[in-house]
Amino acid sequence: MGGEFEGVVRPRRMPRSRGGQALVEFAVVLPLFLFCLIGALDAGLWAVQTSAETSAVEQAAMIASSAGSSPLSDVAPDARAVTAAISARLRSALFGTAIESWCATDASGACGPDTTQRCPSTPAEVQAADGPRVVVVCVSEADPPVCATPPPGQAAPFPPGCGDSPMITVHVIGFVASLVPPGFGPGAGGFELPTDISATTHTLRFAP
Amino acid sequence: MRRSRRRGDDAQAVLETALVIPILLFLVCNFVAVMVQVTVQEQLNSATALAAQSRFQAPENAVDASGTRCCGVHGVTLVTSGLPTGCRYAAETFYGTMRTDTGLLQWHTVTLCTSGGDSGNGGHPPAQPVAYAGSPANADVSCDIGSIKAGGVVVPGYVDRTLNPPSGLDVVTCSATASLDFANTPLAWGVFWTPTVHAQAEALPPPFRQ
Repeated sequence: MGGEFEGVVRPRRMPRSRGGQALVEFAVVLPLFLFCLIGALDAGLWAVQTSAETSAVEQAAMIASSAGSSPLSDVAPDARAVTAAISARLRSALFGTAIESWCATDASGACGPDTTQRCPSTPAEVQAADGPRVVVVCVSEADPPVCATPPPGQAAPFPPGCGDSPMITVHVIGFVASLVPPGFGPGAGGFELPTDISATTHTLRFAP
Repeated sequence: MRRSRRRGDDAQAVLETALVIPILLFLVCNFVAVMVQVTVQEQLNSATALAAQSRFQAPENAVDASGTRCCGVHGVTLVTSGLPTGCRYAAETFYGTMRTDTGLLQWHTVTLCTSGGDSGNGGHPPAQPVAYAGSPANADVSCDIGSIKAGGVVVPGYVDRTLNPPSGLDVVTCSATASLDFANTPLAWGVFWTPTVHAQAEALPPPFRQ
């Protein structure tokens, strides 16, 4: 009976050195693979988030340009009102990221005029003020120069552009959450993706 | 015999890795490049749409005074003296909105302000807009707007006959084209193509202007 099994080849165990080699190869390839995978997923996520922000900012600029406190107002619309108008659209895309208004309140509790609210210029400024994974919506207004009597030989209006309607700029700026959880990667907040989208347009104003 | 076989296995593994890693990085680079292209396209769409709409924020018949300039973004200064103010409004809105990723963009320069043009139908052959007199030709965005000639003759903007056919509606159209240049970025390692992004937007006059 025993002779029937003489020709069977038993699987040989992998030599210990080759098992170690496979382990080392795996250890080298796994981080690289994960880096590429997370990088590609984050790039896709960033594109989706940026796309949502761009369309939201466009909508916000249109709202802000026609939402002055009065037809003759030279005060930027309240950033909180603009934020509320677009936050639903932003929240559906910016998961894991808080959305806040950026404004300095005046005595009445409303967002102050442009002279007191300066929009953040970098995402890091938002992070320093409001913490990680926060984007803020900021609305600012740039008023045209005051018209003056033109000098001899110069046609009105003077200076050029003094009769223009103000320009409204809406910023969405900060850091959005990435797929890497907090505590990993460089920095205290983990991997985050900076975002800085803005839209500018002239306001709709009626002549006094 | 066994030693040479093992050495062959090692060489094979190294070769496999040397083949796979560049392919992997190539794929990741191109994936990121496509994502960048998508986001830039979104921004360009947004900037041209806002530019076209902002033409209507300007007084309808206003003309820029002598010495008026606009849009000192990435070194471009456009002299708009004698052009409709709405044209400058459109340009200021475009340049004010299109601020990010500008280092990657190589703009295709166009005439800032044009007038006329017709999308055409059976009775009206399509017509291209013509450059507005004195309009700068080194702009990154071109807007076709209505204008007023001497004597109060109104020259319509672009007639889009797909809207309210067959007579069409006068609309403001803005368009812009740029190429994405990855040469100065790490993506240049694996991206060997130069994508072009183009956007065109139409805006109708608001009800109180019609």
